Amino acid sequence: MWKVTIKGLLARKLRLALTAIAIVLGVTFISGTLILTDTLHSTFNTLFSSAYAKIDFQVRANAQFSTSGISAIRNPLDESLLTTVEHVPGVEAADGQVGGYAQYVAPDGKAITTGGASTLGLNFDPNPEISQLRIISGSPPASADDVVMDAGTATKYHFAVGQQVRILFAGPPRTFTITGIAQFGSVSNLAGTTLAAFTLPTAQQVLDEPGQFDDINIVTAPGADKTAVQKAIAQVLPPGVQVVTGQTVISEDTTSVDQALSFFNTALLIFAFIALFVGGFTILNTFSIIVGQRTKELALLRIVGASRRQVFRAMLGEAAIVGFVSSLIGIGLGALTALGIEALLRGFGISLPSGSLVFGARTVVVGLAVGVGVTVISSISPARRAVRVPPIAAITDRPLDSARSSRRRFTGGGILALVGVIALAIGLAAPAIILVGVGAVCIFVAVAILAAGIARPLSSVIGRPLARGIPGRLGRENSMRNPRRTAQTASALMVGLALVSAVSVFGASLSKSATNSVDSAISANLLITSSNGAAQVSDTVPALVAAVPGVTAVATAYRGQFEFRGTEETLTSVPPQNLAATVILHLTAGSLGALGNGELFIDTTTANADHLSVGSTVPVQFARTGSGTARIGGIFQANALIGSYLAGNDYLLSHFLRPNPAAVLVATNGSGTVGNAVTNALAAYPNVQVQTRAQFEQAQAAAVNQLLGLIYALLALAVIIALIGVVNTLMLSVFERTREIGLLRAVGMKRGQVRAMIRSESVILSIFGAIIGIVIGTGLGIAMVQALKPGISVTVVPVAELVIFLVLAGLLGLLAATWPARRAARLDVLAAIAAD
Amino acid sequence: MSLTSETQADDLRTAPAAHSVNLRKTYGTGQAAVQALADISVTFQRGQFTAVMGPSGSGKSTLMHCMAGLDRPTSGQTFVGGQDIGHLDDKGLTQLRRDRIGFVFQSFNLVPTLTAEENITLPADLAGKKVDQEWLKYLVAQLGIADRLTHRPNAMSGGQQQRVACARALINKPALIFADEPTGNLDSNASAEMLSFLRRSVQELGQSVVMVTHDPRGAAYADRVVFLADGALAGELLKPTQDSVLERMRTMGA
Repeated sequence: MWKVTIKGLLARKLRLALTAIAIVLGVTFISGTLILTDTLHSTFNTLFSSAYAKIDFQVRANAQFSTSGISAIRNPLDESLLTTVEHVPGVEAADGQVGGYAQYVAPDGKAITTGGASTLGLNFDPNPEISQLRIISGSPPASADDVVMDAGTATKYHFAVGQQVRILFAGPPRTFTITGIAQFGSVSNLAGTTLAAFTLPTAQQVLDEPGQFDDINIVTAPGADKTAVQKAIAQVLPPGVQVVTGQTVISEDTTSVDQALSFFNTALLIFAFIALFVGGFTILNTFSIIVGQRTKELALLRIVGASRRQVFRAMLGEAAIVGFVSSLIGIGLGALTALGIEALLRGFGISLPSGSLVFGARTVVVGLAVGVGVTVISSISPARRAVRVPPIAAITDRPLDSARSSRRRFTGGGILALVGVIALAIGLAAPAIILVGVGAVCIFVAVAILAAGIARPLSSVIGRPLARGIPGRLGRENSMRNPRRTAQTASALMVGLALVSAVSVFGASLSKSATNSVDSAISANLLITSSNGAAQVSDTVPALVAAVPGVTAVATAYRGQFEFRGTEETLTSVPPQNLAATVILHLTAGSLGALGNGELFIDTTTANADHLSVGSTVPVQFARTGSGTARIGGIFQANALIGSYLAGNDYLLSHFLRPNPAAVLVATNGSGTVGNAVTNALAAYPNVQVQTRAQFEQAQAAAVNQLLGLIYALLALAVIIALIGVVNTLMLSVFERTREIGLLRAVGMKRGQVRAMIRSESVILSIFGAIIGIVIGTGLGIAMVQALKPGISVTVVPVAELVIFLVLAGLLGLLAATWPARRAARLDVLAAIAAD
Repeated sequence: MSLTSETQADDLRTAPAAHSVNLRKTYGTGQAAVQALADISVTFQRGQFTAVMGPSGSGKSTLMHCMAGLDRPTSGQTFVGGQDIGHLDDKGLTQLRRDRIGFVFQSFNLVPTLTAEENITLPADLAGKKVDQEWLKYLVAQLGIADRLTHRPNAMSGGQQQRVACARALINKPALIFADEPTGNLDSNASAEMLSFLRRSVQELGQSVVMVTHDPRGAAYADRVVFLADGALAGELLKPTQDSVLERMRTMGA
């Protein structure tokens, strides 16, 4: 029987190759993601290991609580602690470190951006035992005006030793002289991070840590008992300060990078699974058609003594082999993709330490398991149909009776749809993303089953405009002939378009809400924010702006993470005296005055959910100041820009060390020239942008659209796989109808008419899938938006966009028909009629 | 009921190759019902070459399908080697076909993707049995297809394909071979060779063969001819010749 399986596969190479593409693409996506993640993990681990290779211990303040994704928040240490630590027996060298925001300004006056990586300022450590920087030209910084630049930035922006460079800080910007160019370990920069290294006193001054260190790195004397030294150090430390090994720091840093990567990793994997899910439909369909075409052969095997189990195993065996081979190819292509992405990153100037791709066992195992799993699971239903082929089918042409089983299928589909809707509803309400996924999958599968019921009438309606000519009429008949096949083929496209439509509805609503919310959230005429993710708003900015004529009020808003009743939340603060002039806040309880008294305001949603009212006392915790309580002083209606927790600036500033302004809100006298005046006043600060409310809205909408564009690009893969499914079905039905097409040609159908017939069928199939997909997707999108209210305030169904999707689906269907149509038109008339 | 218990008590080794008792087969229901077999009791002897003849629609093929367990009778019983196959489930029927019955069809019915040899050994492979190489060698030599073993069916003539099918039917040394119009798609030379082989397998190997045919020349190779008309038995002929068969068919007024 094994032989039959293998030979059968070899005989159907073309059909199966088309099936395999779906799996290959999905597995490529998965393995590429895994390889990239593993490579980045190993890269950073190597990097941190080499950076801390010589460091035995680090002294640092205890973390109060760690914020998600980034390193823990720690208080600085007093610099006098360095001397104390240096005198501990067994300590050979100890050096204090400071680090913070320092962004270079390029010769053209623009801030040098990193695409998300840090712009880091630090003290240059003269001790080569401890320093992570290697000077490759020039010399270490000696005076207060000296800086050592990382080689990556120097190369990209053509800076040389001896040149002047402006640097932006949290405080006022300053100009420095480049005395040296340095590498970080063995690479020119740290994965895109820019580095500016100063003398220790300068670093402490410009990074706003006078007389303080972030941490102290320690090297022990040769031969010293490290455990004893660590104990000895611990004994001299004040409370709230700890000593940890270099290895601990390495693993913590690596873990925090892994956490940052995990979001990216998860997002990519979700799209990979969507692609595979769509691929599953394609496989199911191909195997179903193949079973149909092999009815005689399967029945013959049964006659000569193959048991049902043997037939079932043979079918699954075929699927497993196809899945296995496709997965292997996918894993190979995944490695190439990861290489490509790495090259792309290097092209963007994000240099990673040299190191080959990490091809983990996990990548191979997951790739194979998922690829083979999806193929085998998708082939179970066709295999079960294969088992039901009675032996007698080999010698008679009696059609198989399937009325009863289809009724059962519809019942099953209905139940599944119900389960899906319930899971989705619970998942959206909870919210539980897994349940949402499960619900969506159930709904898609159920619709695929139920769609067979409406395939005939719907195809008939869609095909009506095409049915004027004979080819169009025949194409329409063909798409109505086997409703189950039509439904299955269209299902893959249905899933793709449903997701695209859901994203479209969601995105349009989000975009609209984002723009709506600005006008209802703030009344300030101008907003000053950092111009780039890595940049900061220098704290000298508000004063400069306040001095501009025509500016009537300036409110600096701060933002920070704190624990509110045990869960981590974002706290926003504004100066109470300028709140009324810049922010639109509708209080439902309490009075604005409470904000100045260090009381906390919360939004109505939080108040209702936590049963809080004005006067309630709640436990809060801050990284710097620890646990405490806060009194609720007011409750306000949802404000999209403020968030759920609001305090006065004095309150927030007392709990955070040097927080960075999140935004500066500026009210003006309404004169149109004030905006330009403010921009001019901030000419020295290329790290901030001045926007009117309208510009800010546009920027918000643009950010949403950019994200949508990315999601569409990733979903395109699923749509492509669905189209491959359409191509595959058409090819198979051309094979199947060889005799019929030959007959049509024999009685006078022209090649062009044959092509037109196949194309009509393809367009009908695609539009059928698209209509169902768009309807379901719109529903899903509305449900998602509804679940996120009031965060998303309006529901928008972008009708024009959805119509474009429908038209695109039809055009793609036309494209998918190209090859099968050509093949059908090329059939040799005589051979087609003679074919058995 | 009494018949059943008697038959089960029979020594299976002395039982006829196959027999049926009051076999009926009706297709469809109500007004549209068509009676394909009407109360047929027939016995096919061990070591005998039996031909089943009759005009189109007389129920020849249906009788064969029912007796080989490919189709379920509406009522009545069918036995293979004394075993009542009406009680067998799908698994039992599969094993019956695999191990005790060989099939030869009009349209050859070879698996197109397998070579001749692989087609021949398919029933043994399915049973997970080791192929008896001596037996295989003997069969292909007898059938004159030793040099075609590595060919695919589409690279062989009709006669060669049918001889491969014949070897396949014999590979598991079945108790009974059912041949359904085995010469229907063959020219006269190939037909004669095929029929001679079936004849010899009965004479020399003691094989039991039941052949459905409407060719008097073919029927003349048999030991016995059973005639069917309108789903019922219409007599039989022992040691038939082409002429006697033709004569009988004429008198049946077909």
